[in-house]
Amino acid sequence: MGIEKIEVKEDKTIKEFIDELNLSSVPILLELDGEIFYPDENYDRKIQAGDRLAVIPIIAGG
Amino acid sequence: MKVRRLNKILLYDDGAARALNIEEIAEYLGKKLAKVGVEVRGNPFALYPLQDKISEYAGKIASIKIPDATKRMSSWQEPLYSEIEYEKRRILGKTTAFGVLYDGLELQRLFFELIPREERSLEFVHIFFNNRLFATWDDHDRRYHARVSLCGIPSIISTTGVVEAPAKPREYYLLKQQYEMLGKDLLELKDRFKGGFIDYEDERLMEVVKGYAMQAVFYSLVGDPFCQDKGCRLYNAHWQEELVFAQLESKYEFCQRHASFLEEMNGH
Repeated sequence: MGIEKIEVKEDKTIKEFIDELNLSSVPILLELDGEIFYPDENYDRKIQAGDRLAVIPIIAGG
Repeated sequence: MKVRRLNKILLYDDGAARALNIEEIAEYLGKKLAKVGVEVRGNPFALYPLQDKISEYAGKIASIKIPDATKRMSSWQEPLYSEIEYEKRRILGKTTAFGVLYDGLELQRLFFELIPREERSLEFVHIFFNNRLFATWDDHDRRYHARVSLCGIPSIISTTGVVEAPAKPREYYLLKQQYEMLGKDLLELKDRFKGGFIDYEDERLMEVVKGYAMQAVFYSLVGDPFCQDKGCRLYNAHWQEELVFAQLESKYEFCQRHASFLEEMNGH
């Protein structure tokens, strides 16, 4: 749990990034360069080696 | 704790104003985080006053209703005209009817769209107070569970969720079944448990919601909204008894760790 920044090691798509981290069924948002977005709306988006993505988990209470 | 810098806390009201004084919540948050500005934004849909936009959002909300809490929704249903009209009336504050369960993650996604693009950042804490009852799917027991809050961007807090999501005492449910079988007045049953749980139009609701707002703030600050200490307002209560204790009866407001954290934030 918690917001975590992950550095991308090689060029890939958001979908590949999510799959590698086994996050496809986990409710999260991503942040890149100050922009926050839902991964499933940006699966084809390209990310590059050296990019630092913040994985923002959505946490339910009660 | 790794701390994120906050620019501003923004409070929105989607139908919760009848139960809450959002200005008072803003004042409370302003006192707890003296160096962070707090702004009350009001109805998030007011940013989109055009009738066709309201209809579009009403249609989206109507499509994320959960008809059966034991069946996971894989695709969202096409809403009926009457359902869209009902949601339009709710958006416009013309009805406060209850009894509908919404998918919380989809509701949050819809609220995300209402946030101005330039404010979709971890520096802003967006909190949407609303009176819709929402739920999230749990793979462990394969059913939806009603929730009080969902921390994310934005964080959403449901006043109906405060009443319905944390469980009441087991004895209450057993007696409720008996009362219903015998056709007895449920108000009498609620009287027997008076004070033990938060009910609709409960004057303590305001105070309780302040604690949930602080959970949303801590989520943005450190990534974790919760505390393990049962007497801290950041405790994630699953029972009404726990909620009442953490938010209203505990001798301290925040545990030592979180209280110190806030003091440091405020430069004391």
